[in-house]
Amino acid sequence: MSARLHWTGVVALLGAATLWELAVAGGLVTLQFLPPPSEVARATVELVASGALPAAVRHTVVVTLVGWLVAVGVGTLAGLLLGLSPTARRWSGTSIDAARAVPPVLLVPVALLLFGFDVRMELLVVVYAGVWPPLVATAGGVGGVPAELLDVARTLRLSRAATVRRVVLPAAVPDVLVGARLSLTTCLVLAVVAEMLGNPAGLGNGIIRASQGLQPAAMLAHVVATGLLGIALDAAARSLVGRAPGGGAVS
Amino acid sequence: MTVLPPPRAPTPPTRSLAPGPVARVQGLALLAVVLLVWQLRGDPASPFFPAPSAWWSALLELHAAGRVVPALATTLGAFLAGLVTGTVVGAVVGALLGRVRGVDRAAGPTLEFLRALPPAAIVPLATLLLGFGAAMKVTVVGLAATWAVLLQARAAAGSLDATLEDVGRTLRLSRWRWLAAVLAPSLAPAVLRGLRLSTSTALVVTLVAEYLTGARGIGGLAAEAQRTFQPARVYAMLVLAAATSVLANALVTAAQARVATGRTRD
Repeated sequence: MSARLHWTGVVALLGAATLWELAVAGGLVTLQFLPPPSEVARATVELVASGALPAAVRHTVVVTLVGWLVAVGVGTLAGLLLGLSPTARRWSGTSIDAARAVPPVLLVPVALLLFGFDVRMELLVVVYAGVWPPLVATAGGVGGVPAELLDVARTLRLSRAATVRRVVLPAAVPDVLVGARLSLTTCLVLAVVAEMLGNPAGLGNGIIRASQGLQPAAMLAHVVATGLLGIALDAAARSLVGRAPGGGAVS
Repeated sequence: MTVLPPPRAPTPPTRSLAPGPVARVQGLALLAVVLLVWQLRGDPASPFFPAPSAWWSALLELHAAGRVVPALATTLGAFLAGLVTGTVVGAVVGALLGRVRGVDRAAGPTLEFLRALPPAAIVPLATLLLGFGAAMKVTVVGLAATWAVLLQARAAAGSLDATLEDVGRTLRLSRWRWLAAVLAPSLAPAVLRGLRLSTSTALVVTLVAEYLTGARGIGGLAAEAQRTFQPARVYAMLVLAAATSVLANALVTAAQARVATGRTRD
């Protein structure tokens, strides 16, 4: 999607928000759990003033980024080793696919058993989910270096180590970056999920607490903050590598 | 003089690491070793790492109590219903956005925001608005599944080959006829690509919804097992969910292959 902000779109959004506001004010629509934008704005101001929202954002951001760094580090390294060794790939490929197939949300009960309602539980879930994109992408990039490039290395009589360092790694960089980018989105999603289902901190937890306390405006305020965080992280990831193949990553 | 090949498009992370049927079986070696070591060194009564044999007995126990099949049915039902709904909505809206520039620009920021929002964050709101039943689950899963399909359809519809429009004009096709006979089939590969990308997200959202609302599906069983400190059951649900995920992905890939016959573009 284009990163430029289309003014038509902003106007449309503001127009819709105004309509919503007027509809509620005019008594046309009374959805008990869908408060008008003014109430959401008010709740947001309150939450920011009390420090609750900034603290939640900070928590989610820190967990996401730390988990992401660990996931990218581990995943890229493992992907590198797998990519360099067809034997390793042969004997572990399906196993990795199987491990990847586990929906990360179900790691939450496992992590809860291990760590309780703790930030380590969140990190475990985030890292588990975030490790696969870099692993698969790096393995693909390293393993798929074009034959011509490898021929060049052979012609120049480069040692294996030198070939890896000077031909394979640079050729695999685009894949590594794509893996890192996809991982960031995944990490945010799972951080929020882990907070909703387990660790009592962060934006996810804020959403749950507000919904259980029947405070829809506060809940929406947290949801909006989560969305904005998603956009910010997406933009940061985009600056890392540009568009992912296929027209955009799915969060 | 050999010319260096152009940079390849990066490998999509959905591709399996182990192509080839023999390699597929050999690839289970790592998993087999891990499970074996776990089994031999693990204590079946461990509160954290019950041995794989314990998972199996827990699964059998649940099945004997008649809870596994309904759970699978619930989860698969909500997952598939949401996925199909989301795909249809995403395809239609995406095609519309791809064809009509004005609407596309007007919807831009809203879509950008909704796309970046983790779908699980919507679940509590959906619970408040729609209750705890199947309608809520299908809605949430549908929303989660819509985005990838929407983006793919939008890109494909926006870059439609001009000859396709000429075909419609030459044959004097009516609007609807053209949409059904020309636009829809040409968007099908893109829609299926989006579907493939959103399958795992849709399953995660289904499980999150079940976990949060204590419903009867796999997610609900896992939540219950965690609350009652039954780790073997938790792992059993994990395996079950993984199997479901593999099955879903296989189905979508097969559908993709059928639609893609004869096309050279991915």
